[in-house]
Amino acid sequence: MTSTFLRRTVLLGAIGLFAAGPVVLFMGSAGASNSKTPLQTTRKNAGTPNSSNVVKNGKGVVVKYGDKYITYVTPPSSLDKLGEALFMENCASCHGTQANGVPASAVGAYPDLVGLGPATIDFWIDSGRMPDKDTAAVEAPRRQPALTPSQAEAIAAWVDSLSPSYPGIPTPNLNKASESEGAALFALNCAACHTIEGDGDALAFSTFAPSLRHIPAFQVVEAIRTGPGNMPRFTGNLSDKQVDDIVKYVTTEIQHPENPGGFGLGGLGPVAEGFIALLVGVGFLMLICYWIGDRS
Amino acid sequence: MSDATIPTNPRARKRAEGPYGKIGKALDELDDRLGVARGGRTFMDKIFPDHWSFMLGEIALYSFVILLVTGVFLTFYFVPSSSVVIYHGPYLPLDGQHVTEAFESTVNISFKVRGGLLMRQMHHWACDIFVGSLVVHMARVFFTGAFRKPRELNWTIGLTLLILTIANGFLGYSLPDDLVSGTGIRIAYSILLSVPFVGSYLAFWVFGGNFPGSATIPRFFILHVLIVPLIILGLVGAHLFLLVRQKHTQFPGPGKTEKNVVGTPMFPVFMAKTTGFLFVVGGLTALLAAFFQINPIWQFGQYQASRISYAVQPDFYMGFLDGALRIFPSWEFTAWGHTWPLEVFIPAVLFPGILFNLAYAWPLLERKFTGDNELHNLLDRPRDRPKRTAAGAAVLALIAMLQIASATDVIANFFHLSLNNVLWAMRVLVIITPLIAYPLTYKICLELQGIKRGGKRKTPNVVTRSVEGEYIATPTPTYSEDADHELHATPVPTFIEDESPSPAESGVRTVER
Amino acid sequence: MSDETPELPQGPFARWKMRSRKKVADSVAKRIVDNPRLAIEVQALAEELDERRVEEARDLADHSTPVAISGLRADDPHLQPLAKNPDTVEGVIATLFVLGLLLMAGFGAAYVLNAKPWILGATMGFGLFLFGVGLVAWGKYLMPRGPFVEERHDLASSRPERDAFAAAIVERGGGLVKRRKVLGGILGGGLGIFGIVAMFPLLRSLGPLPKGTLFHTDWRKGSYAVDSTGRRVSVGDLAIGGLVTVYPEGTQNTDRGQAVDQTVIIRISNENFVTQKGRETWGPKGYVAYSKLCTHLGCPVGLYEQQLQLLVCPCHQSMFNVTNGAIPQFGPAPRPLPQLPLYIDASGYLRAQNDYDQPVGPGFWERTTT
Repeated sequence: MTSTFLRRTVLLGAIGLFAAGPVVLFMGSAGASNSKTPLQTTRKNAGTPNSSNVVKNGKGVVVKYGDKYITYVTPPSSLDKLGEALFMENCASCHGTQANGVPASAVGAYPDLVGLGPATIDFWIDSGRMPDKDTAAVEAPRRQPALTPSQAEAIAAWVDSLSPSYPGIPTPNLNKASESEGAALFALNCAACHTIEGDGDALAFSTFAPSLRHIPAFQVVEAIRTGPGNMPRFTGNLSDKQVDDIVKYVTTEIQHPENPGGFGLGGLGPVAEGFIALLVGVGFLMLICYWIGDRS
Repeated sequence: MSDATIPTNPRARKRAEGPYGKIGKALDELDDRLGVARGGRTFMDKIFPDHWSFMLGEIALYSFVILLVTGVFLTFYFVPSSSVVIYHGPYLPLDGQHVTEAFESTVNISFKVRGGLLMRQMHHWACDIFVGSLVVHMARVFFTGAFRKPRELNWTIGLTLLILTIANGFLGYSLPDDLVSGTGIRIAYSILLSVPFVGSYLAFWVFGGNFPGSATIPRFFILHVLIVPLIILGLVGAHLFLLVRQKHTQFPGPGKTEKNVVGTPMFPVFMAKTTGFLFVVGGLTALLAAFFQINPIWQFGQYQASRISYAVQPDFYMGFLDGALRIFPSWEFTAWGHTWPLEVFIPAVLFPGILFNLAYAWPLLERKFTGDNELHNLLDRPRDRPKRTAAGAAVLALIAMLQIASATDVIANFFHLSLNNVLWAMRVLVIITPLIAYPLTYKICLELQGIKRGGKRKTPNVVTRSVEGEYIATPTPTYSEDADHELHATPVPTFIEDESPSPAESGVRTVER
Repeated sequence: MSDETPELPQGPFARWKMRSRKKVADSVAKRIVDNPRLAIEVQALAEELDERRVEEARDLADHSTPVAISGLRADDPHLQPLAKNPDTVEGVIATLFVLGLLLMAGFGAAYVLNAKPWILGATMGFGLFLFGVGLVAWGKYLMPRGPFVEERHDLASSRPERDAFAAAIVERGGGLVKRRKVLGGILGGGLGIFGIVAMFPLLRSLGPLPKGTLFHTDWRKGSYAVDSTGRRVSVGDLAIGGLVTVYPEGTQNTDRGQAVDQTVIIRISNENFVTQKGRETWGPKGYVAYSKLCTHLGCPVGLYEQQLQLLVCPCHQSMFNVTNGAIPQFGPAPRPLPQLPLYIDASGYLRAQNDYDQPVGPGFWERTTT
C-alpha cells in the first residue's frame, strides 16, 4: 500500500507546514525573542521640575513643587526607616542593598534605582509591576499590587533619600482641567501607542502598551512624567496644565466613555465591527434564508 | 366600452363592471394607456426557485435599499466641507477644538439630530452587511456554476458591483474626516503615489494637490452620494433585468430540467416572502444599530495629518488590502533614475488587480478548460466540480488569511504574543493555507460524491431485534427508494388540465472527476 | 438505485463519516439494551414512523410533480397551504403583525419623547423584524404551496432572425463605409480625438501638476522647531527618552505643515549623538530629529519605544532604529526616515540647519535618491 503511505506522508507533511505558522508564534512569545536584551536605562535627574512653585527645605533640598494644576510631594523622611526595611524585604534581592542594581546580564538587568525620583518608584510598585514575578519576561505587566500605597510611598521615601531627585509623588487638580484640551493632547501624544480609545495594543518585540481603562489619576501623571519602561518621558514639552488636562480626559472619557450607540465592542474598532457584521449580521440572515427557502 | 348608459340599480351596475369589479375596471384604464395586461400577467406567473441559497442576493439588495433610505436622511444633515470651525456642542471633550465642518456635522448628527445616531449606525451596519452578503452571494454563484452561459454578463455586472460597493464604502466612512478614516485616506494617497510612471500625477489629480489636498472631502462626497450610487443602481437594475429575462437557475431535482423552472410564483407567494424579508433585513440592521456601537467618530476626534492612533484597521471589506500591505516585504528599489515602490504597488494595486481580473475572466477560462460551451440552467452541486470548488476554496482561504493578517496587532495583544512573530506567522500562513486548502477541498469533494446523502449529518437507525434478544442498529438511508437526483418521467394525473411536461433532457447530474 | 446499506467509499474522510454513523447506531442499540422499556417505545415509534412514511410518500406523490400555475382547479393540492393547521398559523401570524405594529407605534412614541438611540433602534428593529417574519410566514405557510413549473422558452432567436439581424448590420453598415470610405475614416478619427480631448477638463483641471512639490518641505536654514501650540522647543525641554512633534515655526496650524513638515525630535543622550557618518553635527546634545512621515505609506510615526530605541509606525508596524539614522529593522517600510539636521542657537532653541536632504514620505516614481 505504498500509495496510501505516500498519500498519508504528503498529507501529514502539509499539515506540519500548516502548523508551522502557529508554532513560530508560540515559540517566539515565550521569553525575549529579539536579539538585543532590552536595557533598563539608568538615568540621573529623571525629570525637570517644570513648574513655577518650588519649595525647598532648610537644607536646600526640593521637597515640593507644582502649581495649582499638579502638586508633587516628596515623601517625608519619617518614612525612611520603614521604607528601608520594606526595600530589603521585597526589592534588595534583585536591586541590591544599595538600590544600585545589577548590570545587564543574559537574564535581564535589574536597574539602578538611585536618583530616579519618588514618583518612579511609587509608580512601579503601585501599579503592581514590582516586585516582579517573571524576570525572564521582556516587560513587567500591570498586576494587583503586592504592597499597599503607603508601603510604596515608604519605599519611595527611602530610595529617594539616597539621592533626592524629581519628580515627587503627584496629585493632579482635576477641577481646573479642561477635558477638550486633554482630548487634543491625548490624540497627538498618547494615541499612537495606547490607541485613541485607550485600550492599549501590542508594540514591537513582545512589548505592550497597557490599557488605560483602570488606572488612577495620579498614576497617569507619574507615567507621563517618568516614562516607565518603553514609554517616552514627557517633561519640559508638556506643562503641568497640559498633563492635568490629559489626566482629566483619561479619567473621564477614556475610562467612562459615553457610548451612546450601544456596546463599545472593546474599542477594537473595525476588526470587531467586521466580526459582528459577518457573524451576527450576515450569519443570522443566512439562518433566516435557511428557514424561508427549500433545502433540496 | 362607452359609459353612456350607466344603470342606476346597484346589481345591474355591478354586472356592467365585469367579473372583476372595480379593480378590473381600473386595470382596464391602465392597460388602455400602457398596455401592461399581457406583460403583467406573465410577470405575475413568473416562477422563482425556492432554494434558500438563492436568497443571499436579496440580503444584498435589501441592505442597499436601507443604505439608500438612511443615506438620504444623512445627506440632509451632513456638510461636505473642509472649512475649519470651532466646535460647541453637547459632546464636551470636543468643545472649543478646531474641527472641519464635515466632522462637526457628523458629530451633530450623532448627538443633536433626533434619531441621527441611529440612522448613521444603521447606514454603516447596512454597508458592512451589504458587502458581506455580496461576497457570500458571489461564492454561491461561483460554487454552483451559475455564471456559465448564458449568465456571464450577469457575473461581470455582479463583480463590478462588488468593486463599486467596496469603493463606495471606503468613500463613505472617510466622509466624517475623523482620525481613523483620515489615516486611511493618507494611505490611499500614498498608494496612488506608488503607481509607476503616473503615480504623482494620479495622486495630485484625484486629491487636488499634495496631501491633504484641496478638495478631498467634497469630491469624496459627490462620488459617494451621487456618482457611484447611480452607477450601482443602474447595474443592479441591469442585474435584475437579466435575472428576469434569463430566468433564475435551479438545482437538479424531481421534475426539474434544463428547460423549465420549478418554484413559487411571483404574485403572491414570492412577493410576500421577499417583502417580508426586506422588513427582516431592515429590522436586523436597526437592532444592530441599536445595540452595537459602530465608528464612534466623536471619540476619534478631528483628523490631523500629524496625529495617529494605534489599531487603525480599515473597515473589514478592505481588510485584505491592509493585510497584504502589512505582510509584504520592503522590496522597493531605485533603478534607471526612478523609484519603484513595489512594496506598496504589488500588494495594493497589482494583487487586487490580478485577483479581480482573474474573477472577471473565470467564465471564459472555465469554458476554455472544460470545453463546455453549452447553455446551463441547472446548477452543479459544488462536490460535482471538485476542481472549481477547490480553486474557490483556495482563493477564499487566501482572502481570509489576508483579513486575519490585517489584525496582527490586535491578535498579538489579545493572545499576548510577540507582534513580530505574529507577522511572520501570517507571512507563512498566507502562502501555506491556500496550498493546503486546494487539495483538501478537492479530496473532500471526491469523497462526498461517493456517499449517498453525504452532506447530511443524521441518518435514521433501523433497530432490529434478533431471536436471541440482541439489538442491532444499522444506519440506513431515509427511504429505501431515496432517489437523489435521478429523474424519471412522472405520469401526470388526469385531473390537471394543462399539458404534461415534455420529457425533455432530464438534467441528470453529471459528475466530474 | 435502492441501497439498504451504503457502500463504503475509499478515502479517510468518507470512512470517518461512515464510522461516526456506525457509532451513533451502536450507541442507539446500547441504549435499548440498557433500558428494555425503550424497546417498546422504539417499536411504537417505528410503527408510527411507518405510518408517517406511507402518509408522507402519498403526500410527496401528490406534491412532487410541479404544475403550471394557470388553469388549475380550485381544489388542486398544489393550491393548498403548506401548514397542517392553517388556522393556528394564521393566529400566530396575526399576533406577529400586531406585535410588530405595536412596536412601530412604540418607535413613534419614543421618537416624540426623544428617547435614547438604543430605544429608537430596538423598537424599530423588533417591530420591523416581527412584521417581516409574519409576512414571510404568510407567504411560506398559508399561500399555495406548489411546486409550480414554468417553461423556459428559448432565449436565442431563430436562425433566420439571427441572419436578418446580421445582414442589417453588415450590409447596411458595411455599405455605408464602402461607399463613403473617406467620410467613415474621418468620423472614426474625429470621434477618437474628440473623446480624448473631452477628457482634458475632467483630468487636467482636477489638480495641479506635481512639479517639485513632493521634493521639499518648509524647513529652511534656521527654522525654529515649534510644537503644536507654537512654542519654540529649547534645549532643556526633553529628558533622555523624551519625544516631541515639531513643525517649522508658523506652519504648525497649516495643512502643509502638519502633512509634510511634521518631524519628531527625540532625546537619546546628553551629549552630541552621531547617527551615521557625515551627520556629526546633526544631533546636538543628544537631540535627534526625523521626519514623522513613514516611508511606507505616510502615516505619522508617533510610537516611540525608548528602551528598544525604536520608532514604530502604528499603521503597518514598520520599526525604525533611532540610533543609526532610522534604518527600518522590520516591517514593510523600504527606506530610513530622513533625518533633519539640528543645531542649538545662542538662546538655547533648537533650529534646523537645512531642509531634509531627500524627499520625505512614501516612495514615488520621480524620486531618485535612496
